[in-house]
Amino acid sequence: MAVLSVLRAAAALVVRRSPHKLQHLAGNNLLRAFPIASKVAVRLGSNGKQMFAIKSSQYYDRRFLHLLRFYILLTGIPMAALITFVNIFIGEAELAEIPEDYVPEHWEYFKHPITRWISKYVYDPPEKSYEKMMALISIETEKVDLRQKHLEVRRLMRERGDGAWYQYETLDKNLIDNSQKTNPDY
Amino acid sequence: MPDDWDKDIYQQPASRTPAVDKKTGLPNPAVIVGKLFYYSVNLLVTTFREWVERQRQKNKFYYYHQHFRRVPDITDCQFGDYLCYYEAEMQWRRDYKVDQEIIGILQERLRACQQREGNSYVQNRAKELEQFKLGAKGYQSRYGDLGAYGSARRCLMKQKHRMIEERVKAVSEA
Repeated sequence: MAVLSVLRAAAALVVRRSPHKLQHLAGNNLLRAFPIASKVAVRLGSNGKQMFAIKSSQYYDRRFLHLLRFYILLTGIPMAALITFVNIFIGEAELAEIPEDYVPEHWEYFKHPITRWISKYVYDPPEKSYEKMMALISIETEKVDLRQKHLEVRRLMRERGDGAWYQYETLDKNLIDNSQKTNPDY
Repeated sequence: MPDDWDKDIYQQPASRTPAVDKKTGLPNPAVIVGKLFYYSVNLLVTTFREWVERQRQKNKFYYYHQHFRRVPDITDCQFGDYLCYYEAEMQWRRDYKVDQEIIGILQERLRACQQREGNSYVQNRAKELEQFKLGAKGYQSRYGDLGAYGSARRCLMKQKHRMIEERVKAVSEA
């Protein structure tokens, strides 16, 4: 590929130098793309010289903005359409008094239909998290209670010595040889 | 769409439109502009709004205000009864939110008064001013400097300190 492009560049240079001869020589395949410079009709809109404005590349910036717009709108447009349809066709709830003998569900305390949907299908009811917290607290209370009792029981058993713990085995008193107690020490 | 304000509370003064007594034969430009606005903007917007309302009428549903049962306060809890503490704490937090909303409503009323009367709101709306002052003083003394980590317990301690100070002041005055 690189070789081919070098060849093309060389051919273009040669053609521009000597246009007539080579066009008939080489089989027009390689030289077809290059019009003869003196015969091309140049149309100038103004009567000015054609300038080549040297600018930095805008390719990367335009690509970035294009991709940004694409990825934002990819989910943005469906979401916007959904929210518009929900707001127009379903609409918000109205405030009402709780009827007699009726316990509303936990999602019926919200106004906007999307909030209600999220509360119904995604979140747990607040009563559940309340009860979960109360369960944890009661477990921890019981643990605290039992640990206090444990310490108290240890203290009392050590003090009184009549419990199941802090019983240390001592020698049998029948094994003690008391024969040297008969003789005084002097 | 945000609700309009409650028309019974913030009453507009009665409008006094004078009887029309035209002396010229020329048309009234205000009427022309009014009609233009009506036909170009008002009618379109109103028809769209009514169409939307008709779509919404087809599936109506309601929302309610949640009623919570009153549970024993933190002062009515046994020492070490952590479940009671938790329930009292939750109740205190709900009451805190309600009090914040109450203060917000009083502020709104005062703001509406001030907007209508301009600088003469101090005499004309003395009642609302009194209400707001009372509410703000109570709110400050109860929830004032509790901060972000305020809890029922800290509020109780604040009350205790307040009562101690009152007692000290009463003793020093007597």
